[in-house]
Amino acid sequence: MKAKERVKESKKILHNVYLIEKGEKRILATKSKYGSHYGEKRFGEFREWIPTRSKLAAMLLKGYRVDIKPNWKVLYLGAASGTTVSHLADIVEKGIIYAVEYSAKPFTKLIELAEERRNIIPLLEDASKPERYSGIVEKVDFIYQDIAQRNQVEIFLDNIRMFLKEGGEGLIMVKARSIDSTAEPSEVFEAVLRRLSKQVKVVAHDSLEPYHRDHIFVHVRLE
Amino acid sequence: MENEDVKLSSDFVSSFMNAFNEELPFNPFDLGVKVFGSPEKYYSALRKTAIEVARLKTEKELKREDRYGIMLLKALDELNNSINLLENKLEDVKEIKESEITKEMEEEIRRLKALRRELEGEIERVMEKIAPNLSAILGGAIAARLLEKAGSLEKLSMLPASTIQIVGAEKSLYKAMARMKKGKPAKIPKHGVIFQHPFIRTLPKKKRGKMARFMAAKLAIAARIDYFTGELREELVSEVRRKYEELSRS
Repeated sequence: MKAKERVKESKKILHNVYLIEKGEKRILATKSKYGSHYGEKRFGEFREWIPTRSKLAAMLLKGYRVDIKPNWKVLYLGAASGTTVSHLADIVEKGIIYAVEYSAKPFTKLIELAEERRNIIPLLEDASKPERYSGIVEKVDFIYQDIAQRNQVEIFLDNIRMFLKEGGEGLIMVKARSIDSTAEPSEVFEAVLRRLSKQVKVVAHDSLEPYHRDHIFVHVRLE
Repeated sequence: MENEDVKLSSDFVSSFMNAFNEELPFNPFDLGVKVFGSPEKYYSALRKTAIEVARLKTEKELKREDRYGIMLLKALDELNNSINLLENKLEDVKEIKESEITKEMEEEIRRLKALRRELEGEIERVMEKIAPNLSAILGGAIAARLLEKAGSLEKLSMLPASTIQIVGAEKSLYKAMARMKKGKPAKIPKHGVIFQHPFIRTLPKKKRGKMARFMAAKLAIAARIDYFTGELREELVSEVRRKYEELSRS
């Protein structure tokens, strides 16, 4: 790191999450005791949180916040190799993350992460079959979902029904192309929002451009 | 819940693997804390077991999945052959005489076609799981063909782009090389399996080589990501799409 690229100013936006002015750039980072997990840079006590790699980072950089508390219990669907999970684990340092992933290949990387951190329970399971892990996952405060699948909304709602506490929060990253690759993204998103609002309260939604094309996040609450 | 109703399992790993239920009337955490004495102790045991189970399961899966995809594809090829053969024979028979048995044959062929659709669906699903990047660029069917020709995902990940470009066109490549050896003019193939992809097939002949070369370069990267990390990198697909759009416009 070059000397002049010192951290100029940092602003806390969530527990352990900071917006940092560094040189000319504005960087999102989490305060972390741990090393780099997916090639992200470390500086001082921070790990850079790259918005093109993590949709949650993209959402935060776009200025939207879900007030994730350090003691939250989280069910994470579509954990992949743990890019976002690693940062979320920095945030919920007193809580726990049940990280569900169906594909064995990226999962090996997630296992490494779970070995390093104490607050990650890795589950190699199919998120569309929540009964397969209902004896393990408890009632949680927060369900996060990022799986590019046609029926991702149904999967999200099924898991909410089974595992989300009353008043709990949910965040779903919707990919238009994987729900319907022929329809206009805006139409897909409208249908998704309609479907969601039948079961839960839609708190907010927005696109993830320019970090992720044809994606939106939807923040929901179980009331 | 009474304490005597619950006892500590003697084998956490097998209990963990069999922990599927209908929705439970209680929260696993509350029970866990009761049995283990504290949240810390419960989470520590849960995490340790989860990691152990995860290890066992990934090891087993990783070994098998690409073989499974390849075998499914081979079965699909056989099925296609059978369907074509049967349809031809049926036509022959029907030309002479239609009967009860020809109707039964028709019904059987319909059933085989339904099975073919199922097989194709399963291949797509498997490919998306074991090779998300290759599948995203090529679609599951062509990706599976490429995998079959290479033999395994590991082997595919080690192929250079120039080889991936002509996988499936070996015959014409060797023919061309033999001609060149004799000092004769020869046409080296520019695409093999990947020619089936609409991005190549639909371009004018002159531009197909360029597209095939570009796509093969991206596929080589995709295969390596699929083999080593298995994470989807969407920019690969959009780069290929952009190249296609550029070539089809110019």
